[in-house]
Amino acid sequence: MLEVRALDVAHGDTQVVHGVDLDVAAGEAVAIIGSNGAGKTTTLKAICGWLPARAGTVRFDGRTVTGTPTQTLKRAGMAYVPAERHLFPTMSVTENLQLGAYPAKPARAQRDVVFELFPRLADRGTQLAGTMSGGEQQMLAVGRALMSRPRLLMLDEPTTGLAPILAEEAYRALARLREDGEITVVVAEQQVPLVFGFADRAYVLEDGRVQLEGPCDALADDPAVRRAYLGIDR
Amino acid sequence: MIAILLDGLAFGLQLSMLAVGLTLIYGLGGVLNLAHGQFAVAGGIVGALLIGRGAGVAVGIVAALGVAALLAAIVDVSLMRPVYRLTGERRVLLSLLVTLGIAFVIEGYLFANHAAVSFNLSVPGPVVRILGVGMRRNALVAAAIAIVTLGVLIVFLRTTRLGRAIRSIIQDEDGARLVGIDPGRVRSLVFVLSGLLAGLFAVAEAFNSSVGPDRARLFTILALIVTVVGGLGSVSGALVAGLLLGVTYVTAQFLVGSFLTYVILLLAAVVIILVRPSGLLGRAH
Repeated sequence: MLEVRALDVAHGDTQVVHGVDLDVAAGEAVAIIGSNGAGKTTTLKAICGWLPARAGTVRFDGRTVTGTPTQTLKRAGMAYVPAERHLFPTMSVTENLQLGAYPAKPARAQRDVVFELFPRLADRGTQLAGTMSGGEQQMLAVGRALMSRPRLLMLDEPTTGLAPILAEEAYRALARLREDGEITVVVAEQQVPLVFGFADRAYVLEDGRVQLEGPCDALADDPAVRRAYLGIDR
Repeated sequence: MIAILLDGLAFGLQLSMLAVGLTLIYGLGGVLNLAHGQFAVAGGIVGALLIGRGAGVAVGIVAALGVAALLAAIVDVSLMRPVYRLTGERRVLLSLLVTLGIAFVIEGYLFANHAAVSFNLSVPGPVVRILGVGMRRNALVAAAIAIVTLGVLIVFLRTTRLGRAIRSIIQDEDGARLVGIDPGRVRSLVFVLSGLLAGLFAVAEAFNSSVGPDRARLFTILALIVTVVGGLGSVSGALVAGLLLGVTYVTAQFLVGSFLTYVILLLAAVVIILVRPSGLLGRAH
């Protein structure tokens, strides 16, 4: 589904991502973990065309899409939810969801899928997005992305700023989403124990390079990963 | 007193219609179009020339709308391209210079070739009484054009997918890209829409008074004042500001006469901006 080869990305003159390779098969859930500033966000943004890649290729569904604009990729089935969400603050929950289906007509069935996943959104159709709590805004951002029935959902730090209970709830919702449909998920996350309970495989990114990769349960046994990300000594 | 209020509201509706096109492209594209009034007049002159050569009134009106929209479309895909490459304040500034140049070219051409032409439309019939006040039929037609145009525009922005997309870009252009909207394409459509609105203003004004090359600059300035007072990028702000300044304009004209009217209009605008720096309904930055 997604194949990233030798990806280099720079912010201005500073190269942030160095030769990253990623492979995500259809139906998989893959985590990208790493400390702050490791290049997780930059990697996702380059994949979805938000930032230009300096070198390397991104293939989506077998087609090379390096440098394709975010809006074009969204229409091709790749939805990206950035940490800063970019909701439409003075529009209602309903309108935000309707826009998620653009340019298609918003499908009632898909809205029901979103409401089933995030029941809190269902009661708040007329509330303005900007007046909701951080957790609700995060649900809305994911819900908006799902309105177009994407095949690949890429989430950047979906639990930032959420209370622990809400963060767990968010991943339970994502797990239900995977049970119901054929969606592929890539998620960048700092809360490693949480994402290891959700994802199949993970990439460990440090200083813009892939340090380790493998199934989450194998990585969870790796001493270095345990020390650095799971808060377990020895 | 009621007569002044009604006249003011009627004129205000027209001002709103003129300003709303300007505020939409500012909200979407971050550009201020100083050739807005010139687009309106160019459309009107083409309409007048066609009618003068024996074409029907309907043909003249359609031509006026088409020419204003076409001019906007041409400018968007040609001279505005380098402007869109810049961002933020620099884009606004370059857009002012480029569109000012376009305004000079259009005005120069019209003065050189059609200085004496003016677009006038009229419906015959007696004065209509509203709330005990006699209103000219032509003024009512102009107001009706403005009401219908603004009504359709509001329904379009509120309820259609494209209308929602337009509002979403004004709110958060990055958010719009995330949901699959191409801001550049929508911006081009809105540029054409704003030209169409300028054309509709010209048609309304042709009923109300007349549209000739000498009025282009005034239209642009009025549009700019209303847009700034309403809050750049705010459609509802342009509506409110248009009505407010329309009543101010007509009242001042009644009390002190034409020349001082513009001074009073600008004073009112300055006071509003001092009290609310981002305009009546503009977003605070």
